[in-house]
Amino acid sequence: MSEEGTHNAPPAPEANPEEINASCRGPVLFLFMSAALWAVQATGVGLLGSFKMHVPGFLADCPFLTYGRLQANAWVAFLYGFAGNAGLGLTLWMLSRLRGMPLSRPGFVFAGAFLWNAGVTAAMVGITMGDQPGIAGYELPAYASRVLLIGQAFIAFSAIITYFSRRHQQLYPSSWFLIAALVAFPWIVGTAHWLLVETPVRGAAQIPVAHWAVTSLQQIWLGCIGLAAILYFIPKITGRELYSRQWAAFGFWMLLILGGWVNLNSGSPVPVWSIKLSQYASALFIFVLIAIGWNMRQTAKGVPLLGSNDLTLQCMGFSLGAWLITALFTFGNAYSDWNSLLQFTYAGTAMRQFFAWGFFAMAMFGAVYYVAPRLFSGEVDWACSGTYKWIFRLTAAGALVILLAGLGMSYGHGHAMQAGSADVLKKALMPMRIAFLGEILFFLSSLIFLGSIACLFFRNYGGDCSPMALIRKCRLVKTTGGAE
Amino acid sequence: MNKSPWIFLGVLFALSLSWWGMVFGPASQVNAAKVDLGDGTSLRPRSGLAQQGEQIYRENGCYYCHTRTATGGTFGYEIQITQFGADEDLTREIIGEKYAAKKIFEKAFAFKAVAAARDAKKAASEEVKAEGADVEAAEAALEQAAEALKDAKEAANAIKIDETLIALGISGVTIEGDLAGELGLPIEMSEGDKAEVANATFAVSEGVEQWEEIKDTVRALKDRAGAQFKLLPLADDWPDVVNGVARRQSVSRDFLFDAHAMPGVMRVGPCLSNVGARQIDLNALYAKIYNSQAGGQSSHMPPYKYLFNVRAAEEDEKLPANAVTISTEDGVISVESGFVVTPTTKARALAAYLQSLRNDKGLPEAPLPDVREISNPKEGE
Repeated sequence: MSEEGTHNAPPAPEANPEEINASCRGPVLFLFMSAALWAVQATGVGLLGSFKMHVPGFLADCPFLTYGRLQANAWVAFLYGFAGNAGLGLTLWMLSRLRGMPLSRPGFVFAGAFLWNAGVTAAMVGITMGDQPGIAGYELPAYASRVLLIGQAFIAFSAIITYFSRRHQQLYPSSWFLIAALVAFPWIVGTAHWLLVETPVRGAAQIPVAHWAVTSLQQIWLGCIGLAAILYFIPKITGRELYSRQWAAFGFWMLLILGGWVNLNSGSPVPVWSIKLSQYASALFIFVLIAIGWNMRQTAKGVPLLGSNDLTLQCMGFSLGAWLITALFTFGNAYSDWNSLLQFTYAGTAMRQFFAWGFFAMAMFGAVYYVAPRLFSGEVDWACSGTYKWIFRLTAAGALVILLAGLGMSYGHGHAMQAGSADVLKKALMPMRIAFLGEILFFLSSLIFLGSIACLFFRNYGGDCSPMALIRKCRLVKTTGGAE
Repeated sequence: MNKSPWIFLGVLFALSLSWWGMVFGPASQVNAAKVDLGDGTSLRPRSGLAQQGEQIYRENGCYYCHTRTATGGTFGYEIQITQFGADEDLTREIIGEKYAAKKIFEKAFAFKAVAAARDAKKAASEEVKAEGADVEAAEAALEQAAEALKDAKEAANAIKIDETLIALGISGVTIEGDLAGELGLPIEMSEGDKAEVANATFAVSEGVEQWEEIKDTVRALKDRAGAQFKLLPLADDWPDVVNGVARRQSVSRDFLFDAHAMPGVMRVGPCLSNVGARQIDLNALYAKIYNSQAGGQSSHMPPYKYLFNVRAAEEDEKLPANAVTISTEDGVISVESGFVVTPTTKARALAAYLQSLRNDKGLPEAPLPDVREISNPKEGE
């Protein structure tokens, strides 16, 4: 993973890693800690929502806890709460390390992170009160998206200043993906906010706009951050050079060009030409899959990623596999018969969950496991690190359960719908019942994640003033009976 | 890629492509959609309670389990001739021997020949009576016309079919009185007979053909043969229409006036694109929303009791007119035994919104198709 200088002017001196880590410690840990809290919130609320699907009468008298509100809350908590915090935290750290410079203006990051989390909280409260805009996958009320955009701008300001603080360096491919994610988010959310919520276009025009926003948030925003982590950590931990910058560049540009077009349902009430274009884009997505997949295969050739002893490498390996599977599913949507069979089944939701947890969350878990201890200088006291492997196991198992239930059993639902079969409800519920097991596993893994991060945080942050250090001191005083 | 600004510009350009294709393009096209339906009527926005109901539907997240998107499928055209033109040979050439060989086709043109001969005889008869006419020549012409009429009648009667009224209808001629009797037609037509004649059609395509396949036939029938016909769209492999979920495919204009378009995510519950036409009983709709399992019905929808006013019923209290009820073997009872349940404004708004969801009226871009039950055969078929 070399960063060769290619220009005549000598590159600015690179800061040492300890200095970079120290500059990132406060803001990045704050973002990681927030992500862990939101992960528990997302999985907890999602679990409650799914339980209501199986027992419809459960808490049915409470208008704030309808299935629709809980599902919207769960996705907002995951997308903006967990993914946003973890993704932005990792973006700041990786950009600092890749540019070889300390994080600039960390105060802006703190301000932005506070605003960001306030925005997510406002969205959660708003949805609970019935203020969701009615777009599955983009459930932000107007006030929440405003705050989120401002918060992201603060954090992006710091990231961009850091990015430009050292020039004349060849950019490592992960930087492209991270920059794209920073640029894409305000564009996507701004468009959705303006055209769907603030001054909504006519109802009929909202459907294509909503599809673009939801698909772009997933494929481009989350996709870029997750792939940036994969491209960074797999070569770094295996100690190899990235096989090809050209393949990476091809995959990057194709992802950006195609990411917003794909996966439009063949029965969507939109102009037919846009459905056809979406199908062509989904077909072309095979090139993104090949570019990323081939590049990473050649980079890690001979290294068993999932069988590795390194937990980060395991996470990245699973994350890469999950991304490839979802890319393959996207490619499958080019085939209209396949798409029309699965379009109103659980398959779409299952693939979204698989993408969210199998790909993105897994990449973040692996990255946090690598990054978080390095943010502390000297010896790190992380007593809970051993439990971290359970995060990988539970998340992987949950993602696979949801994938198998979502894809395998949704076929039956699709066929039952097309035949007008009497047991269509039974067929619809079956994949959701199985997937419920996966959601329980996600909940457990996010609880462990929160515990691990809290353990690391409390034991190490603040030096002698850390909560754990103070507790130890108190214990020592108690046992020795010292007067000091 | 060493130049950061190029990456920024490239990212912006790449994003703008999909933004143009999936946001600007479709949204501009759909935003400019007209309300005119082409038949003198126009789409109208929801108003009053139904408009408020959309908000209730949205805030409760109903769109997670219900779609409002009826899907289409294979679509074919049946050319239905309602009246033939004058030229039999030309019509035969255009529609092909497959359809021209049918007896109803021959019968229709035989009726045309009878009518023409009848008119010729009538003209000849008037010529005989005309002042200053060449009587001898006129009588010869009349005799010739009478002979022609006799031949035409014999030719028509030689074609034995059951659908004589349909043949008469598509021939486009009128034959009444004794002549009708001689041709095996009713001398005095009942209302039913008249309706059969007026609605008579003769299909000259299978109903699975696409427009590209039939456009030459359609143009020739119209421009050369002078026939009158209609094009009937047929849903061939079209599950939502075949299964009675909807009457046609949902299209953009179904959402034109929605404050928040909610096409839906999954079909855990039924598609609601045409629920307004299916669920016309308001009380039944309230009962469904209050408790979808009331009366022992099988459903997985959660009860939305908080949308209703519920109070304990007094002894021997008669249920008020707006009480939500269900029909059982014991008669009409409250949806919640021992309680009086009445809808709140929110429940009434939601029901009004649901009843406004209809697609039982065709649009130019989404006509109401007839159903060809190929993909969903009944038992034993």
